[in-house]
Amino acid sequence: MTSLLEQLWLLPLLSAIVLWTFGPQLKRASGALGSASVLASFVVAVVLYPSATGPVPLHLALGTWGPGFTFGLQLDPLSLLWTFIITGVGGLIHVYSIGYMWSDKAIARFFAYMNFFVFAMLTLVLSDNVVGLLIGWGLVGLASYFLIGFWFYKPSAVAAAKKAFVINVFGDVGIMFAVFALYAATGSIAFADIFAKAGTLPVGVLIAVCVGLFVGAAAKSAQVPLQTWLPDAMEGPTPVSALIHAATMVTAGVYLVARFAPLYSLSPTAQELVAVVGATTMVLGAILGVGQWDIKRILAYSTMSQIGYMIMGVGVGAYQAGVLHFFTHAFFKAQLFLGAGLIIHALHDEQDVRKMGGLRERMPFAFWAMLIGTLAIIGFPLTSGFYSKDAVIYGALEHGHPWLYVAGVLTAGITAYYMFRMLFVTFFGPYRGGVPNERLAMPPAAVTHAEAEGHDSHAPDWVMQLPVAILIVPTIAAGYASVSFGGPSPWSRFFGTLFGTSYNVAGPILPVPEWASSIFVLLLVAAGIVIAYLRYGTPAAQAGAIERLRAEAVRMPPALVHAFWFDDAIEAAIVHPAQALGVAISRFVDPHVIDAGVRDVVWIAGALGVIFRKLQTGLVRGYALTIVIGAALFIAYFATLGASR
Amino acid sequence: MQPDLSSYVALSAVMFFIGVSGVIVRRNPLIVLMSIELMLNAANLALVAFARAWVNNAGHVFVFLVVTVAAAEAAIGLAIVVAVFRSAKNVDVDEVARLRG
Repeated sequence: MTSLLEQLWLLPLLSAIVLWTFGPQLKRASGALGSASVLASFVVAVVLYPSATGPVPLHLALGTWGPGFTFGLQLDPLSLLWTFIITGVGGLIHVYSIGYMWSDKAIARFFAYMNFFVFAMLTLVLSDNVVGLLIGWGLVGLASYFLIGFWFYKPSAVAAAKKAFVINVFGDVGIMFAVFALYAATGSIAFADIFAKAGTLPVGVLIAVCVGLFVGAAAKSAQVPLQTWLPDAMEGPTPVSALIHAATMVTAGVYLVARFAPLYSLSPTAQELVAVVGATTMVLGAILGVGQWDIKRILAYSTMSQIGYMIMGVGVGAYQAGVLHFFTHAFFKAQLFLGAGLIIHALHDEQDVRKMGGLRERMPFAFWAMLIGTLAIIGFPLTSGFYSKDAVIYGALEHGHPWLYVAGVLTAGITAYYMFRMLFVTFFGPYRGGVPNERLAMPPAAVTHAEAEGHDSHAPDWVMQLPVAILIVPTIAAGYASVSFGGPSPWSRFFGTLFGTSYNVAGPILPVPEWASSIFVLLLVAAGIVIAYLRYGTPAAQAGAIERLRAEAVRMPPALVHAFWFDDAIEAAIVHPAQALGVAISRFVDPHVIDAGVRDVVWIAGALGVIFRKLQTGLVRGYALTIVIGAALFIAYFATLGASR
Repeated sequence: MQPDLSSYVALSAVMFFIGVSGVIVRRNPLIVLMSIELMLNAANLALVAFARAWVNNAGHVFVFLVVTVAAAEAAIGLAIVVAVFRSAKNVDVDEVARLRG
């Protein structure tokens, strides 16, 4: 069993190495190889299900490096859940990418990066120690850098990749300090040892560790104020966005907080911080989603908002609810991104919803896929999002955070509004592909990559549609795992005692019972849908869509256009001072300290050279004479020495 | 009567100084090379003499080594002389002073 665990972990890396090495020879076969390796990992994960959920989690020792530094892999229910999503949803995204990247010359490189990403993510979730987790954490950042900057000839993609990497490294540093503090306090890096000693840690250390870890979680999971890289990361190919948003990277922060539940549960201060940051992100992401025109950026902000839900869930202590929302979100967000990819691919890399419209007739499959994904994300009854979002929102109330509860309910309404706005603008009304950009208040069109390169051949349609079709099933049904008919639900049985008893506390009598809360949420969701319908969905609105969209684009509040000026604030607070420091160093320290020192050394060497150059007469006989005289003096010295003895 | 050790050493010293003066005063590289050979062989003579006097074979072995090195040195030295002549059209060691500082 343990050797299977190793295979589960290393198969994607092996495939990545093969693709890196033999990419030019494999060409389009690389897509099949890359997908097969990830799906094989998924099969191994399924095989390992019974042993991972047993009383003792599966464990594999890898090696030791000094006292306390024991490396290994472990597969417990939490890791297993993430492994399923990473390899399962990730595998489907790989299959989809075969179609999406068909006409890209660098398809082998693409799949090498994708496999590497999966490997990095598996390293993160399978590690049984904090250092291994940090290594995986860093590798995920690196892989995201590769993939966001995949089209490296686009300057915007390069800038986005750099931004994602830098912000992620900022988070890595936070985790690193947490690791230092943990090792100093417990003398071990293994989760088991750390959690065993969690109760004995001083409060200060506990808070420092939790905050350090959360800095990392916030950077990777795009929590305020480290969220600015996420919308920019849409520069990567759409399957990359799906992989980053649904299956892997951004949910790593949720994993981290859930993994360190034994520590967070002991520190209400840190929990408060996590929950409030999560809730803030949730609200801000939803508000920003309202003002976007790029279909992928709408989805990006919705991801940010949904991750906010998850972080809030694990922050208030409703770990099972937060993780459940991760589980369902993975499916419907992959569904939405892959559906958007179908549209973008069919429209030759057009991403602006103002240039779409009326696609319901042209692309019925994409419409239904997106509709189901949208229903799930807004928490429509009987879809997966309904169960998970309700669990998170109600969890906030259960754990004594009425304000976060209200924020969660309101955000659910906003989510319904902007998702249906996207749906109406994209799929209803007239097709606006031929409308000049100026009439839609858009910047003038540039020659896009797709037009420049041309689509000479296409993969069969089913390659891209099959993964989307498969995802429909869990998008609807994934939430049923949490339904209980008396006794614990399958979901809580799956986790057993992993999160302690924190979820099952019989809290105080709450002012709102759960069913009433659900109705409350649904009313707001319905209100959001109705407003979206009135603004974009009525026949009149559809007919006058061009003018309406133009008017909306012109009157867009600046706060939405500039995403609440977070980018500008970070520029002003960090980037500009850092640049000024760099300029100052290059102006003063460089010439007057470093260069001056180097120049002095050069000057001394030159002066000595002027003196000693005189000795180089070039006269061979002169040299010979010098040697003879030297030898004579030498002999004379030893001769007199011998005589004096 | 066999000559004693000091005679050999004296002869070796004389040969050596003839070689040294040859290297210093002559400007023809061929003569300089010959003078160097003379110095080497002066050293050889001294080595053999000492080896015999103290019944130690190490001296003989050194002589073989020196003879080998001398042969190699002569070959390389002559090659250098030829190369210098080709580039400078001149074999006067004083004129070949391109490395003067």
